[in-house]
Amino acid sequence: MLGCLVNADCERVLMNHLDHVIDSLAREQVWRYNPTSEPAAEPTALAAVALAAHGRQGAAERARVWLAQLQNADGSVGLRAADPTPGWCTALAVLAWKTCEPSADCEDYSRPVRQAVDWMLSIAGETSAPQEEAGHDTTLAGWPWVAETHSWVEPTAQGLLALKAVGQGDHPRAREAARLLEDRLLESGGCNYGNTIVLGQQLLPHVQPTGWTLVTLADEGTTTPKVMRSLDYLERELGRTTSAASLAYGLMGLAAFDHWPNDADGWLTAAASGALRRGASHEMALLALAGLKRKHPFPTGDRQVAPSIS
Amino acid sequence: MALSALNPMSPCRGDDSRGADLPCATEATRLDRRALLVGAGVVAAGAIGYPLLSNVFGAESPVFLARNQRYDSSLERTIRDGLQATGMDLSALAGRRVLLKPNMVEPSRSRPQMTTHPAVVIAAAEVFRRYGALVTVGEAPGHVRDSQMALYESSIGPALEDAGVEFADLNYEDVVWTPNAGRASSLSGFYFPRSVATADLIVSLPKLKTHHWVGMTAAMKNLYGVLPGIKYGWPKNVLHHAGIPQTVFDINASVPRTIAIVDGITCMEGDGPILGSAKEMGLIAIGAPVAVDATCARIIGLHPRKIDYLRLGKRLGPIDEGHILQRGEAWRELASPFQMVEAPHLNRLRRKDAIETS
Repeated sequence: MLGCLVNADCERVLMNHLDHVIDSLAREQVWRYNPTSEPAAEPTALAAVALAAHGRQGAAERARVWLAQLQNADGSVGLRAADPTPGWCTALAVLAWKTCEPSADCEDYSRPVRQAVDWMLSIAGETSAPQEEAGHDTTLAGWPWVAETHSWVEPTAQGLLALKAVGQGDHPRAREAARLLEDRLLESGGCNYGNTIVLGQQLLPHVQPTGWTLVTLADEGTTTPKVMRSLDYLERELGRTTSAASLAYGLMGLAAFDHWPNDADGWLTAAASGALRRGASHEMALLALAGLKRKHPFPTGDRQVAPSIS
Repeated sequence: MALSALNPMSPCRGDDSRGADLPCATEATRLDRRALLVGAGVVAAGAIGYPLLSNVFGAESPVFLARNQRYDSSLERTIRDGLQATGMDLSALAGRRVLLKPNMVEPSRSRPQMTTHPAVVIAAAEVFRRYGALVTVGEAPGHVRDSQMALYESSIGPALEDAGVEFADLNYEDVVWTPNAGRASSLSGFYFPRSVATADLIVSLPKLKTHHWVGMTAAMKNLYGVLPGIKYGWPKNVLHHAGIPQTVFDINASVPRTIAIVDGITCMEGDGPILGSAKEMGLIAIGAPVAVDATCARIIGLHPRKIDYLRLGKRLGPIDEGHILQRGEAWRELASPFQMVEAPHLNRLRRKDAIETS
């Protein structure tokens, strides 16, 4: 699986594969979940972020323009041209638009960004009084997948990252989102999709929401030991064969805290080959982002992003 | 509004302030005439429009039960025999699009009792393929966004590759709006993935498990997994807020024609549908989803009439024992009460005779 024996070789092989991945992403005219489906906001936003991070501003701009065309009048960004709701991709679109560097030749996205952020601040996950059956704090509001439902880990992480990217990391909604994410870490490490304990039993952790949470909490100065346990969980999980998306999110979560498993280059290389073969642009974008290693994968606004523990 | 993701007994969306304390479970008992007529219409359309299923759906519904089944035995033969025993005209499958829907809600290699075993999926695929059907396996895992990971963790992905069966990732497919034919919930319709909307036959391939909110999950509840997370979230919290029993019924009333093949070989008891323990039953159950679920409920020690989505499901097919035609084994000989989480909303589901014999 590894195709290389020493770290320097592995890194060279990985860079070669990532070049192919970036080239392939840059050649796309639209980005989708799989080669036969309609263009979609999430893969397009991830592609924009990945392409910009790898210096492909021209291709990234195509993605940013497409996202702007998808924006609804209320500021939200739908799933696809035919699916204007729900608006959970709005935060991802903000992150994509914020990759437009001042020196780059790109549209002025200040208005779409402002409208999108206004929309994000207008919605929140449903809260409730504390519930006996639940281990998590049901009074905290983050962001839901779909309006008028509860807050969940991934949309909350994306919302918080977007607010930080536009310089609103101190907004009360951002602070509450950070508390929510910390609350959702399992005692034994890792994150479920959003609950922690139900009817007295701790739920199962998963790599993808754990990766999102760690990437988002890396600059929060979080002192809970649950973070270290989450890093341990990811180190254990990524040692097994896993999918491209989970591998990418897991590595991004580890890298945000300055962890990089010895075999990670080999894992990424193998996953890149598979993603190229499948032509799955969102997988390619995620692998390209994970390939940034210790560089933060998402635009960070003006804040300094440094892990609080290592 | 209360947190419906955790507590299905919390108020339903659309309740007014007076009714806000009414649990959705209570709402499930409400049978209005329009809904009865709609349900009857759905069944009639299935029977008239599609001879393939003419004997499966009717006032009386056959359910086939096989015992002593194993994942390494001749499941293909069992499934074929069961389909024929329940009246399916297998020759009518040629050229039909058949979507097999296993349960891959939150797969974990350490908990194989949570998900449909790949051997059952492949055996079902082979039966339908042998009769000329165009078979796809499709699922929208309810708790995980990464379907590739779900395929790997459930071991279904490698099995499909080996067998050359196509997988449709229902979480991300393009969608088709379909009116809600059940109308037990306030949802006006559903976004079905194209693979679901265009299927000639959907085969619910659930794992038989306890469920810590609604008692049991099998053929009907498994169809939560035909709705795409991209529209409903992970978990599909829109459905929780609209009421679990109501939306289980509504989805079953609204999908194209459906039959069930239940993986009841290694089941889950206790804190299902995710964290429960394995329970060996060696069972395969085949038939129309409502009748199959009613039979499975009896087998695991629950009273079908007390399971809210089954009580609603009576509009789609029979749940009373007298209207379910037993094929293969008799359910009473297979009955073995499942352990459940101790909670009032679950204790009330138990069959009195099941408690006495457990």
